[in-house]
Amino acid sequence: MSKAVALRGKFWTPNVALLVFFMAGAAVFSYFRFFHGFGSVTNLNPNYPMGMWIAFDVACGVALAAGGFTTCLIVEIFGKHKYHALLRPAILTAFIGYMLVGMAVMFDLGRWYYIWHALIYWNGNSVLFEVAWCVMLYLSVLAVENVPAVVEEYKDKVSLPGLLGRFNGLVNAFLQVADKVMGKVAVFFVLGGVVLSFGHQSSLGTMMLIAPYKLHELWFTPWSPLLFLMSAIAVGPSMVVFEASLATYFFNRKSEIHLIGDFAKFIPWFLGAFLLARFGDLAWRGALAAAFVPGTYAYAFWVEMALFIIPCAALMNKGVRFHGVKLFLAACSVILGVVVYRFNVFLIGMDMGPGWNYFPSVGEFAVTFGFVAFGVFLYKLAVNYLPILEQQH
Amino acid sequence: MGINRRNFFKVAAVTGAGACAALSTPAQASGPALPADPGYGMLNDSTRCIGCKACQTACKKVNELPSEGTLEDGGALYDSPRALSDSTYTLIKMHRDEQSGEATFVKQQCMHCLDPACKSACLVGAFVKEKEGAVTWDGGKCMGCRYCMVACPYNVPQFEWHKAIPDISKCTLCHDTRLTKGKPTACAEVCPADAITFGHRDELLRMARARIAAHPEKYDPHVYGENEVGGTNVLYLTKPKVGFASLGLPAFGYIAPPRLTESIQHGVFKYFIPPVAIYAALGGILAFNQRRNKLKGGTEHE
Repeated sequence: MSKAVALRGKFWTPNVALLVFFMAGAAVFSYFRFFHGFGSVTNLNPNYPMGMWIAFDVACGVALAAGGFTTCLIVEIFGKHKYHALLRPAILTAFIGYMLVGMAVMFDLGRWYYIWHALIYWNGNSVLFEVAWCVMLYLSVLAVENVPAVVEEYKDKVSLPGLLGRFNGLVNAFLQVADKVMGKVAVFFVLGGVVLSFGHQSSLGTMMLIAPYKLHELWFTPWSPLLFLMSAIAVGPSMVVFEASLATYFFNRKSEIHLIGDFAKFIPWFLGAFLLARFGDLAWRGALAAAFVPGTYAYAFWVEMALFIIPCAALMNKGVRFHGVKLFLAACSVILGVVVYRFNVFLIGMDMGPGWNYFPSVGEFAVTFGFVAFGVFLYKLAVNYLPILEQQH
Repeated sequence: MGINRRNFFKVAAVTGAGACAALSTPAQASGPALPADPGYGMLNDSTRCIGCKACQTACKKVNELPSEGTLEDGGALYDSPRALSDSTYTLIKMHRDEQSGEATFVKQQCMHCLDPACKSACLVGAFVKEKEGAVTWDGGKCMGCRYCMVACPYNVPQFEWHKAIPDISKCTLCHDTRLTKGKPTACAEVCPADAITFGHRDELLRMARARIAAHPEKYDPHVYGENEVGGTNVLYLTKPKVGFASLGLPAFGYIAPPRLTESIQHGVFKYFIPPVAIYAALGGILAFNQRRNKLKGGTEHE
């Protein structure tokens, strides 16, 4: 089995310049958001107090970072070690994803400097309280899970630039301790990470249940937390496939199709289970008829369903799974399906009352694009200088 | 590792059953922890309101709120705001019932729910249901996430969209300014038509029923807020021909919204058994698979 190595390629490429351009755009709008209020940047209004920064940056961000815990579940807990090469990239992208979620929350909090209040003022009745704590703890767990990669690359080779050089000894001592401790405690973090993910992935589905008179019956169900969790588990491997495909393309690596094609066999199972639960719930509640009442709600529902059902059927076929482009497109469809599902619950399926409408402003799009670009930037930085991707011969 | 296949299945079965039991609790809503004494509130009798908006002015005065320009150029004309906002806690508007064509004035402000969704939603507990009946907001805790605004069935809490450091603002039932000093709400005190009555919620309910009984031809027999969303401290009366829904008071259910979310949350975390059980079950599966991989002589993973 081959070993993960840092790519050590050229970092500043035209693509990275493009990422920096988007990040700079977001920085401009964030100046107005932080110094002149939300009204100067966003289209948020009294009836739509939460917009794209919550629906996409937070709700979709958390769901799309599910590659971390699902890969952990498959590789570490269910012992499918043949997919080991996919674990480190998945844990790295989960860490980056959750870091971005944390930053996005800072952007969306009116009183962002009070974010630490979640630590000291507890309201155990609040769904958001549970989400906040699980996300905080899971981000810490992910940081720990990424330590082995740092240890492997830099233990006994710490050489910080300039004045930071005087901390070389201290950092190295930390890495040595981490190296010794990690082997013994890693398993507890793996398990903890999965349990924490179950917790907040599902709780995001409980969030909008506080508004029974706003959320449409196609999405308002007491089983929403379970459906959110199941859709997160289905999108996890899809994200792994998506990221591996892009890494292969952009870093000119050899195809990993034998591995990711094999890994993708989990997707139709997870997705099928989710779809069964989704339709079972709709039928049991008698809400299925609402899907046939022409209008925004029904269209949004069927777009969501199509994006799930088509890849679910396609990925049962080996010919699709082991065909690079078809596999990538199927994974994209699952990802888009989850994005539409989250948007449906957080925005499109919500009837917020008369008098107001919402569509994200240019500034909101710019900040969201900036976050995505920053995530890709961090990913490239990490795979370039840390042993994340497997060596290829 | 002292875990064999049989033990593993035992562990899995027990923990699985525990998790299922915990997940099934949301079905039965647990009872709300309501105060024995609902405290004070207001009875808004829309049949009496003459639309003079004295209450709006009194509210602005006591809360030291600026006037609002409602024209596009932002000029502060002598005009009434169109909707609740960060500087308008109460509002009088005329509504027309589409079926009967009859119109009436009605006052809008925080309903001061007995089991407030905003209070349940707030992750830092910035909302308090005071023993006097008001639902108040604590700026020292709030982090501005606006989940309260999503949670409120009446879209009452407002946000300062144009401030770098924004507050959540809404009617306080004059809790700090008047109630705790033994005075009624400013709007009720100033109302010239006796359309707003301040009092203890129990007393207001009795009064509402008495008015309906005395003039059944003048009133819809329903007292809005007695049970809606679990009951509210502000109650409403309307004419027979003007439905509550046309006044912006929809026919909400009698169960408070937090009952569902709280029973799910508390079910999933009951005594921390479900998360610990899942942790243990996953640990069992992990140990089982590690042992199996080792027995297979699998050196796939070092």
